[in-house]
Amino acid sequence: MKKYWAIFTTQLTNRLAYAGDLAAQSLSIVIFMWIFMQLWRATYRAMGTDEISGLTLRQTLWYLMLAETIILSKPRISRTISEAVKDGSIAYMLNKPYNFLLYHMSVGLGDYLTAMIFNLLSGSIIAWLLVGPPPDPRGWPLVLAAMLLGWLIDFCFTALIGLAAFVTEEVSAFEWIYQKMLFILGGMLIPLDFFPQWLRSIAQALPFAYTIYGPARLFVEPDLARFATLLAGQIIWLGAMGLVVTLMFRRSISWLTINGG
Amino acid sequence: MKRELIFLFAVWKANLLSAMEYRAAFISQVAGMILNDAMYFLFWVIFFNKFEQVSGWQLPDMFLLFGIVAAGFGLGTSLFGNAMQLSDAVATGKLDYYLALPRPVLLHLLATRTNASGMGDVIYGVMSFFLAGQLTLDAFARFLLGTLFSMTIFISFLVLVQSLAFWMGHSQLLSNQATNAMITFAVYPITLFEGSARFILFTLIPAAFVGAIPAEFVRTFTWGGLAQLVGASVVMLSLAVFVFYRGLRRYESGSAIQIQL
Repeated sequence: MKKYWAIFTTQLTNRLAYAGDLAAQSLSIVIFMWIFMQLWRATYRAMGTDEISGLTLRQTLWYLMLAETIILSKPRISRTISEAVKDGSIAYMLNKPYNFLLYHMSVGLGDYLTAMIFNLLSGSIIAWLLVGPPPDPRGWPLVLAAMLLGWLIDFCFTALIGLAAFVTEEVSAFEWIYQKMLFILGGMLIPLDFFPQWLRSIAQALPFAYTIYGPARLFVEPDLARFATLLAGQIIWLGAMGLVVTLMFRRSISWLTINGG
Repeated sequence: MKRELIFLFAVWKANLLSAMEYRAAFISQVAGMILNDAMYFLFWVIFFNKFEQVSGWQLPDMFLLFGIVAAGFGLGTSLFGNAMQLSDAVATGKLDYYLALPRPVLLHLLATRTNASGMGDVIYGVMSFFLAGQLTLDAFARFLLGTLFSMTIFISFLVLVQSLAFWMGHSQLLSNQATNAMITFAVYPITLFEGSARFILFTLIPAAFVGAIPAEFVRTFTWGGLAQLVGASVVMLSLAVFVFYRGLRRYESGSAIQIQL
């Protein structure tokens, strides 16, 4: 594990060297949060109520802030892997003394955490200005743990999409569709609490909710029982997806033909 | 003028043939984008299922707005795909190729790339228009006209922000942020925004002219609506051409030898 830790810390250092770029990129969350504020303020006003499906306007906005942070901080791992497959550079990575998937996981985690810091900062400032202080800080360590596990599930999906380049070459369509799954069924654009009950039950059983909705909902209403349920679901999905991506990687490698170079 | 149009159609034909060369990738991008747009729109289906209306907007209004934006954006990126890469072309000296040829530099540059997924956006846009329930021939004619206005204003905006590269060098980050802001604002009901925000959406980031105003024009024909769209298109296009050619005077390159494939 030592070498993967070294890869991770190197990537952290690399990314933090361009802190200005990260700060500029985090401006996106300000725009999104501001638009969400206009939409949800008008909605709560139209409903003439302080609470919709158990969420106040303040909770909804902080929920969306965390959901946006998770989405906007995600590195494009599927693109990196599929490009390596398409241009053949994967051949140079496979003979290095590390596991290809763990290498990308370490690099991706470095990218995710650095972007997350800046998105969280920008997002929190704008959310605080718009709707007031954040939820109970005692829940934050649990949220961070849930975000990391959620990211690992996401990594399995994105690596799987990247590896699909071995079969289909072009993976953009899979990337878009997966992203929209996270947007809708993951609860990034709208909390699952606002879904009709039948759709909410389906969405909550799927892995996308464990990536976005679970951590974001825990953030606005932290409690140990909610965390335990979330953790159990995340571990199950991580185990299943980890197995699938490992098998897919082994299969993909058997298809690879390297002609010198 | 006729000469330039013949040239433009020849370039578009070559682009299409080139995209169709990789038929499976082409079809997957088009179909993937239709699915992507449809899934994104599920947000509004779920939203209006729960809330019925927000700031006077209902689901059919969103179908119309989304149809115009998707078709305008898709048509723009299909026909003038390089608008997204203009700042990169400036910063990396790729304009040399176009400068050496006896054709209008901006037009040639913009039209030499097509985005296959843009055609998926166009198809989805038309489907969304029909789902809005405006099933008359004159409404469809207005939709086509509105799409052309939306595309013109969107592409002109892209040229404007990407031309900043002539003064700032690598400005891809800023261009991306401006483009994201434009698309994001365009797909939300304009009535959500008031005061200075509304002013910005009609001027600095003219998202209202890419979405809400053409959508309103499709819904109900008024001479005022048409005049607004014609005026905004003429102003934005003239400004884009002026700023690009002004910037072109500052263009420098290392005389890189490039081959256009």
